[in-house]
Amino acid sequence: MSVGIVIDRVSYQYSNEVEQTLKSVQLSVLPGDIFGLLGPNGAGKTTLMSIMVGIMKPTTGSVSFYEDNRRPGRQEIREAIGYIPQDHAFYPELTPAQNLAYFGAMYNMDGRRIRKRTDELLALLGLSDVAGRKVGAFSGGMKRRVNLAIGILHEPKVIFLDEPTVGVDVQSRHAIVSFLKELNRAGATIVYTSHHLAEAEELCNRIAMIDHGRVIAFDHVSSLLKTNNSKDLQSLFLSLTGLSYRD
Amino acid sequence: MYKLLASLKKEFLLLWSDKAGLLLMFAMPLLLVFVITIIQDSATRIASENKISILAVNHDKGRSGSDLLDKLTASGMFEFTVRNQLSRDEVNQELLSKGILMALYIPADFTSKLTGGAGEISSLMLRDLGIEQGGSATGSPPKPNVAFYFDPVLQENFTTSVQNIVGAYVTQVETALVIDQLYEDTEIEARPDELKGKMLANRVKIDMFATGRGGSGLRPNSTQHNVPAWTIFAMFFMVVSLGGNVVKERSSGSFLRLKTMPTNFFLVIFSKMLVYVLLAVLQVALIFSVGIFLFRKIGLPELVIPGNYGAFVTVVLLSSLAAVSYALLVGTLARSQEQANGFGAISIVLFAALGGIWVPTFIMPDFMQVISMFSPLQWCLQGFYTLFLKEGSWVDLKWVILSIAAFVAACQAGIYIKLRSEKLV
Repeated sequence: MSVGIVIDRVSYQYSNEVEQTLKSVQLSVLPGDIFGLLGPNGAGKTTLMSIMVGIMKPTTGSVSFYEDNRRPGRQEIREAIGYIPQDHAFYPELTPAQNLAYFGAMYNMDGRRIRKRTDELLALLGLSDVAGRKVGAFSGGMKRRVNLAIGILHEPKVIFLDEPTVGVDVQSRHAIVSFLKELNRAGATIVYTSHHLAEAEELCNRIAMIDHGRVIAFDHVSSLLKTNNSKDLQSLFLSLTGLSYRD
Repeated sequence: MYKLLASLKKEFLLLWSDKAGLLLMFAMPLLLVFVITIIQDSATRIASENKISILAVNHDKGRSGSDLLDKLTASGMFEFTVRNQLSRDEVNQELLSKGILMALYIPADFTSKLTGGAGEISSLMLRDLGIEQGGSATGSPPKPNVAFYFDPVLQENFTTSVQNIVGAYVTQVETALVIDQLYEDTEIEARPDELKGKMLANRVKIDMFATGRGGSGLRPNSTQHNVPAWTIFAMFFMVVSLGGNVVKERSSGSFLRLKTMPTNFFLVIFSKMLVYVLLAVLQVALIFSVGIFLFRKIGLPELVIPGNYGAFVTVVLLSSLAAVSYALLVGTLARSQEQANGFGAISIVLFAALGGIWVPTFIMPDFMQVISMFSPLQWCLQGFYTLFLKEGSWVDLKWVILSIAAFVAACQAGIYIKLRSEKLV
């Protein structure tokens, strides 16, 4: 069964900032969603995702997970989550297989399952030929795919991706997007942030737009476009967030 | 358990990938041990085994000057290059231009003045014994002198030692003259050779004993000091590698990922600790093996391992644990790799200087000796000294073990508090 998430009035205040980064954000991610968190730079997307995966604790509010009308425990949630951060989150001194072996063990996987999944994922992501080479020497696209492989190694029920296709070529982006659709078809709930609005429109069934720490739009993509009379996500995004620079 | 094994394997692989760092961890202390031991050993040999080279200029018109040089040569401590044609002024010039370190100049009137002095002593003795009548001396004869030249680069304690040895032999020559004079003044026909032999040779013998429990008569030498001392330095210098490694891990994306996983950062820290303790033990094994097997082949004193193996292993393990705990603490507290490397390296150099790694603490000023008691390297070094130089027992190691254990506990507590404050454990 898939896992859903309820974000209940989450606020977050960084100690070195005057204004709250997140202001009483209220959202829900339904089981089986490919959910897009969109917004300009500094809107609070990464902060919200960090709170959702448990890296940070909200100043107020809460994030809860549910599966079959049941709330799993903390350990169970951690085992159910796959997180692919924007930064390369692996050891460049190690090979893809060595990275996967280490992180697999940290996900409580046994050796046999790790080896089986490693072979599968490296083949699926086109990394089998370089399985014995150190990741540090890889191209940007290959590194992104290694990053992704580690996050989905344990077949998580919820996958969080923070800009997974930033800085990669068209081929790698296509491979990653196709793979995410495949994982979703297999039952995984996906939460994803991106600045590529065309990609988000292709991939997501529901989205939330955040600006200045507040949710400014939240619904099915098609409903949002219809309600706001926008031809695509980019025009909707610009009409809601304005044309001024965000640095 | 599988997690721990995977974590240990990851640490080994990361360590193995840093070949330059590994080379530094093993090659640097080996080089230091070799260089410092050879230098200190040759310095010790200059004072204890090698003959001291001295330029001798003997202008004495009598035979006392030659007697003095003969006695000094016979002592086995000196090797004279005799250049009697040099004037007193030229001796100074010779030292400056030829790189000679020391010279002994005996003036022309050395024997006559020495004889005058001997005559005066003889007269006084005979008068006090009531053998010879006479008034008090009208004035002491001029005292003899020799001139001792030395290069200012020589240490004061070394030149003072040479001066005292020369003075002791001058006294022997003078004593012989006094005896001759006494025999002559009392008109004893027998030769005073037997008396002179007894008086001059029957000296109190001083037996030297290095204190220790085992009674093996093990003498402290440059190897017994340098091998443990620089091994300790190398262990603690791991802070540069391990401290930076911890900061890198904390600030990397992989660490963020670990925070979302069903695992604990303590596992990462514990794995690093185990791997680096093993590395420190390997450092000890390598450097000590070189001291045992290689040193004697290149003419250095061989390292003698203490008989109390249990205590030896305990001190090695505790020292390793102290070094690794300190490195982990620095890595946990530092905000960047530069901070960890800079502070780590400087603090270890300071701790080493204070802890007696470079020079023994007993030659430091009193207040520095008090400060040195707060260096963890000093506690570790004391542990090795107690075993290597004094053949100490477990009881002798009590305070050393307690001090190092307390240091390890304090570092571990610091690591826990910092990680807890960052909500990492």
